[in-house]
Amino acid sequence: MQAIQILIDGFAISSLYAIGAIGFTLMFGVSGVLNLSHGAIMVVSAVAAWAVAGALPVGPFGGALAGVVTGVVFAYATYLLVVRPIQTSRTIPGEEKEIFVLTGTLIWGIMLAEAVAYFFTNNPKTVLPLISGVVMIFGERTPSNKIMTAVIAWAVIGLLWLLVNRTKAGKTLMAAAINPRALTLLGYELSHIYLLVWGIYGVLVGLAGVLLGAFLGVSSDNVGTLTASAFSIVVLGGLGSVSGSLIAAYVVGYLETFTAYLIAPSIRTVPVLLLLVAVVYIRPQGLMGRR
Amino acid sequence: MRTSRLYPLLALILLCLALLPFGVGGYILGLLTVGYYYGVIAMAWDLLFGFAGEVNFGPSFLVGVGAYTAALLNHYQHWPIWACLIAGSLAAMVGGMVLAVPALKLKGPYFGLITLVAVLLLQNMLVLFSGVTGGEIGLDVPDVLTISDNGNYWYALGFMTISGAILFGLSRSPTGLILQASGQDAIEASALGFNVAKHKMVAFAVSAIFSGLAGAMLIFYLATVSVGTVVDLTIGAQVIIAAVMGGRRTILGAALGSVLLIIGNELLRPIGQLATFFVSATALVMILFFPGGFLGRLLRPEGRE
Amino acid sequence: MKEISHSKRRATLLASVLAGALALPLAAQAADPIKIGVIAETSAISGVAIPNGAKLAAEEINKAGGINGRMIEIVEYDDHNSAADAVRAFQRAGNQDKVVAVIASYVSEVVLALQPWSARMKLPMITPGAASDVITQRVHDDYANQKYVFHGYLASTQIADAVCEAGKDILVTQMKVKTAVVMSEDAAWTVPLDEEYLKCLSGIGIKVVDHIRLSPDTTDFTPIFNKVEGLKPDVIVTGISHVGVQPTVQWQQQQVPMAMFGVSSQASSSTFWKDTNGAAEGVVFNMVSAPDVASTPKTIPFAQAYEKKYGITPGYAGYTAYDDVYMYADAIKRAGSTEPDKLVAAMEKTDWVGTIGRIQFLGQDSKFTHGMKIGPGFVSGLMVQWQGGKTVTVWPADAATGKLRFPANIKLGN
Repeated sequence: MQAIQILIDGFAISSLYAIGAIGFTLMFGVSGVLNLSHGAIMVVSAVAAWAVAGALPVGPFGGALAGVVTGVVFAYATYLLVVRPIQTSRTIPGEEKEIFVLTGTLIWGIMLAEAVAYFFTNNPKTVLPLISGVVMIFGERTPSNKIMTAVIAWAVIGLLWLLVNRTKAGKTLMAAAINPRALTLLGYELSHIYLLVWGIYGVLVGLAGVLLGAFLGVSSDNVGTLTASAFSIVVLGGLGSVSGSLIAAYVVGYLETFTAYLIAPSIRTVPVLLLLVAVVYIRPQGLMGRR
Repeated sequence: MRTSRLYPLLALILLCLALLPFGVGGYILGLLTVGYYYGVIAMAWDLLFGFAGEVNFGPSFLVGVGAYTAALLNHYQHWPIWACLIAGSLAAMVGGMVLAVPALKLKGPYFGLITLVAVLLLQNMLVLFSGVTGGEIGLDVPDVLTISDNGNYWYALGFMTISGAILFGLSRSPTGLILQASGQDAIEASALGFNVAKHKMVAFAVSAIFSGLAGAMLIFYLATVSVGTVVDLTIGAQVIIAAVMGGRRTILGAALGSVLLIIGNELLRPIGQLATFFVSATALVMILFFPGGFLGRLLRPEGRE
Repeated sequence: MKEISHSKRRATLLASVLAGALALPLAAQAADPIKIGVIAETSAISGVAIPNGAKLAAEEINKAGGINGRMIEIVEYDDHNSAADAVRAFQRAGNQDKVVAVIASYVSEVVLALQPWSARMKLPMITPGAASDVITQRVHDDYANQKYVFHGYLASTQIADAVCEAGKDILVTQMKVKTAVVMSEDAAWTVPLDEEYLKCLSGIGIKVVDHIRLSPDTTDFTPIFNKVEGLKPDVIVTGISHVGVQPTVQWQQQQVPMAMFGVSSQASSSTFWKDTNGAAEGVVFNMVSAPDVASTPKTIPFAQAYEKKYGITPGYAGYTAYDDVYMYADAIKRAGSTEPDKLVAAMEKTDWVGTIGRIQFLGQDSKFTHGMKIGPGFVSGLMVQWQGGKTVTVWPADAATGKLRFPANIKLGN
């Protein structure tokens, strides 16, 4: 029945969006960086997972692991090669650092996309699903892979919640998001905190890329849209708010799914873009934004 | 650099450029032609960013609106070129005003987002109605400015020169200084009694008109318009790279950056697909280590950095 | 005297320089390569086959002595699947690099954008992979200007007819299909394709219950497949080229119970199996030539040489690009010149056995002017299916190297 299909599909795609969006907003919230190479790192991770699974007999789990590790590696590369040099630069005036980080990560993202296209062509690659086969849910045949995606997404969200609320490191992260200066006064090393957040970001982005690769397939052509999509969700939910991004991801996911099923698949992104425009004009801080 | 030295130098450079067709082949002229049009777009971007402090991540929105308006009118209604150009610029100006409204209310990254969303929306609309617009691959434009390589080159050079003169003049005028002040410290500027909002609107309008006009002229040179040529996010990236590499807040630097980018891409052509990669890598290195750009030192107006 | 010997020396120097200057162009001309431009999207699977196939042909011809002693030089251009880039590349090829002929693209929109330039610059051009009927229609309607354009592939209408012809045997007889959904990407080449599908499918007794055109940007095909399933057709007749990997993977993951039959350009290369992680199993697609079928004595040796050199089987446009270089070389030889009008006249008289069949170009009396002659003995189609990591030709019967085989979840016929 179509309603069940919409429910399931919407849930799966929203969970996928959520992981990427949470990573993006966490990065902004804690370190103030809007990483425009977000989509590129996702694609690189997915392609790595595909390549490793194809070249070595490690099966889908080995490939997925390789993908996540790649995500972490490239996240750190982004930080160390692009973001930190700009943040610590003496020649760039303070108030322009944000713009330079945006431009720098944009260029870095383009470089990564071109490199992927060069080595692997722009043909979409699909990552081996962790679980193949289908299950029946209320009479609707659903790929097990989709259920897996949602399960993993929520497991990761749960782990993140635990990290942030129950561990010292996590609490420090959140404190840094709210008031970095106070934190330094208390003797914490911001640079350590930044390293931690980029690591967590790397895991989230790598995972998002791998799951996307298994769910839909990715190609270097998708880099721009993936970044734009994450950016949009995060602004909708409120820049810097993790719970906001989570809710916004589901709003966007379901809005797209409704549009695809009930109107036409070709315009699925349009209502979301219009919603975004409306939000930015009317309530620019997003659903749960603080500033 | 003092203006007394600058203007004669510029005149000399322009003279040399104007004489190029007598010594150089059609293909290089073609490259420079495109470079000059992008130069105008980059200069318009610099006016908005460098002077009004607004980061426009989607200059291709304005370019696309101008280009497609002109292309559609020419393709379907067979309007003459000059009419299409005017229509394109006006449409782009309207687009610029639409962007200006939230800009005046929003801070920092939010405005950048609107500009990105604008490009995405335009792209989606164009692809959606690809039956009319030709979608991703494009629509052919029946009229061209001229078939001659030299002619096209001189049109582009002339356009860039005039636009550059206007934009540069604007940047050095009292309006320009106010814009600069509004861009760097809006609070202080309004405290000094300037109508920041009005000046920013002017900046948007001007930036939009020139971007749209450049886009429209470009398609009458290429004889085709497509999402990939005038609307894609990578166009925006190229424009930003050109302006930043050339030197923010110098206007002329943006034009220089554009030409250098085109030449750079061409020189790297032998390595095929990796050309974009290396150009981007160079741009990245430049913004990390030489954020003032090529002309930053030379042309930065007096005052604080 | 000093002055005289000085001027004598100058004279000798001048004479030798003049002699050298005269000799140089003569020497240069003897070694002057014949340049052929190849414009394609090299970062796409279907696109890279074009320069690859062309280069292979050039190498072989050069090894055998070139064209009357002159070597062929392939000049490559990446068009990034953009009409504007392709136009610039074309202008460069003709004006700067002075190529004598161009082999361009597999994307109809790009070829259509290049056609006016081929006419303006009087530069002969052939497409090894684009399908739109409009290409040859323009040549037919404006022969004097457009005669420089040749269509080295089947027109969409002809492809649809080939698919229906195969459908008579495979779909109707073997699979007992009564209803179908036509699913194509929204692009220039599928407009005539779908039109013909709708006509010829009902002609073989299959009812088309729906006609879906999807955006080439689609990444999530779930809603589309769900819709198709809801209509309960016996088969999905496809017209896809820009998309291929993603719909195929999602088709398999969802275990859509209908087979996919028709045109799927990306499926023609061996990387397709890897890219889809084997989801391609059971996909039946049209090709003009396949690596396991000797359409002509040249087909299999070409496919093997290609695989040896590039590590993968040729994408569909690789065969035609290879043939195109040979045909240009043959035409230049017969014309004794690379001058455009003479080259075009010689091309029109082409009677060449390539890898895809025996190639002759149709004349002004046909509506597909400068298209290829289709039919038994000339160029005809094959239907190929992915089975266990290999492509197996399943139609026509006299060329088939295997039988139809579908994954377990496909329900066949009623």
